[in-house]
Amino acid sequence: MPERTVLTALNDTLREEMRADPSILVLGETVWSGGAAGVTRDLIDEFGERVIETPVSENAIFQAALGLAIAGYRPIIEIYSADFLLAVANEVINDMAKWRAQQGRPAHLPITIRGPMGATGGLGPEHSQCVERYFYHAPGLEVVVPGSPATCAPLLAASIRSNEPTLFLEHRRLYPAALPVTGEEGPAQLGRGEIVRKGSEATVVAWGWMVSESLTAADRAAEQGLDLEVIDLQTVAPMDLELVVESLNRTGRLLTVEEAPKRGGIGGEIVASVSERLGRAIPMMRVGMEDCIHSYHPVIEAEMLPDSSDIEKAAYNLCNRGSLGRSEVGPLE
Amino acid sequence: MEAKRLEDLYELMLTSRRFDEECTRLLGEGVHIPHYHSGVGQEALMVGSAAPLRTADTYIYTHRGYGQLLAKGVSLREIALDMWLKDGGTNHGRGSVMHVNRPDLGLPGREGVFGTRFGLAVGFALAHRLNAADNVVVCCYGEAAGARGPLYEAMNMAVLWQLPVLFLAENNGWSFTTPTQWMFPQGKMSNVWRGFDIPVEVIDGNDVESVYGHVADAIESMRAAPGPRVIEGMTYRLDPHIWWDDASYQSKTEIEAWRTRDPITFTESRLEQLGVPRARVEDTQRAVAAEVAATVQDALSTPDLTGHGC
Repeated sequence: MPERTVLTALNDTLREEMRADPSILVLGETVWSGGAAGVTRDLIDEFGERVIETPVSENAIFQAALGLAIAGYRPIIEIYSADFLLAVANEVINDMAKWRAQQGRPAHLPITIRGPMGATGGLGPEHSQCVERYFYHAPGLEVVVPGSPATCAPLLAASIRSNEPTLFLEHRRLYPAALPVTGEEGPAQLGRGEIVRKGSEATVVAWGWMVSESLTAADRAAEQGLDLEVIDLQTVAPMDLELVVESLNRTGRLLTVEEAPKRGGIGGEIVASVSERLGRAIPMMRVGMEDCIHSYHPVIEAEMLPDSSDIEKAAYNLCNRGSLGRSEVGPLE
Repeated sequence: MEAKRLEDLYELMLTSRRFDEECTRLLGEGVHIPHYHSGVGQEALMVGSAAPLRTADTYIYTHRGYGQLLAKGVSLREIALDMWLKDGGTNHGRGSVMHVNRPDLGLPGREGVFGTRFGLAVGFALAHRLNAADNVVVCCYGEAAGARGPLYEAMNMAVLWQLPVLFLAENNGWSFTTPTQWMFPQGKMSNVWRGFDIPVEVIDGNDVESVYGHVADAIESMRAAPGPRVIEGMTYRLDPHIWWDDASYQSKTEIEAWRTRDPITFTESRLEQLGVPRARVEDTQRAVAAEVAATVQDALSTPDLTGHGC
């Protein structure tokens, strides 16, 4: 079966969606040369004026996209690095997320914001952060963070077709992943998670690159006789809490995993939300970055970032098998 | 300008003025008016900058711009219902008078944090170009928005891409408690734009014929040869910034000096010069006063919204 990388699949998806819908525009920095990572490669050749290379002016780019969306277009903004979304938090959270509500018109506002995110080793603290948690907190936005390579392109198609302002955050480490071309990739459904590994003893909830780390951890735990279920949330807002609760009803234990700092993160919100739904406290642990600033030094950065070993250890602790993980933290009880 | 057109502009200006005066009277009676900012003194710049536009042209209004909205075709009734957060306006109690919008009239609304309007204008100008339409964008802004970075980004884009955006600076002397000269070199909001090698004009913002003429010329030029322009209208905020502001920082002499250049009385004298009978002007004044009073009363007596949907 032929293969393509996630990067190529995303590029193909942009092309296919733009062919199907002439109202789709792409705008952002360096997009004529392929954008930050190559996702917009060659689009200028086919779509001409529908691909708008902009000055490095994030505020005006996002504002212009808002104008284009109100005017009936379906803009896709490329943000050069997801960290830079903090420079346009006003446009995203104060303008796009609130626009329909305060103008009294709950009509469509189809804006897709996409770009590379996450740590790859040594890019430094302003080009490595996972920023989904900041936007997760703001009502009025959809936040998509694909984790399984095969879901990236279908989730991008769904994000573009969505009539809401949608952030589609691409972890840099997913770009080179190869996946088979099945010819059956339709758009995914936003707001749906997926059980990517069945298990019985604990539910690991992850998104973005942490899905891969969680699957590695689950494989290793299985060798030690611990059976973990792994959920790829795919979309953090809206979030498929039903799937998490359904899984918890079988496993009884919850482990959340995120690349960003644990403090104030999405993991804590998942724990709180499912506890409310279940009406009781549940055995849980959170894995995430400690309160650190990413280092430019790749080895130091790797120590800071959560990985499969951290997930594995946390799972042993959660399931009262602390001795298996040579854990530095004691067992839960 | 022919008398008939000036009479039309006068009626719009007067409606805006009477609406402000009615609001001020109600405030004196203790009636709450959410987010009310008076536009008294700026009616010529408001009406003269919006009246020359087509419906399909985009106009981005400012927060005290009742005359702007009226001149672009919004009814006073909609403005009043939005003002008092009632149903039946343009945003159904969700955005107050700060977010009046009628996209079908070329009024997309406005942002809550000053500054988004500039890139928004670029976006609409791009949309007009992609639609192969010769529509233009007028982007009004005051001292506060004009001091924010997005204007500089958007201006660069508009020049780079030769977009038909008229950046219309409303220099009303004040940014809340801060005089314009503390914010912009030489107290002029447009001086810096001369460096972009684009047409920049500073005009009398209290003379509606002059405003109308300059804006009409600018937009017709942009239709023929796209590319941004700047017009800075010199006017004055005669009322306090917002209803709870005592304006103690504003000098009485300065206010009185600008009152002698009140755009309403100035237009009345021009109508007289053009031979419009005094009686007809008085008829207009009576009709406008009656319409404003009735509309405001209707808005106040419209039932409050009861639903609390998300």
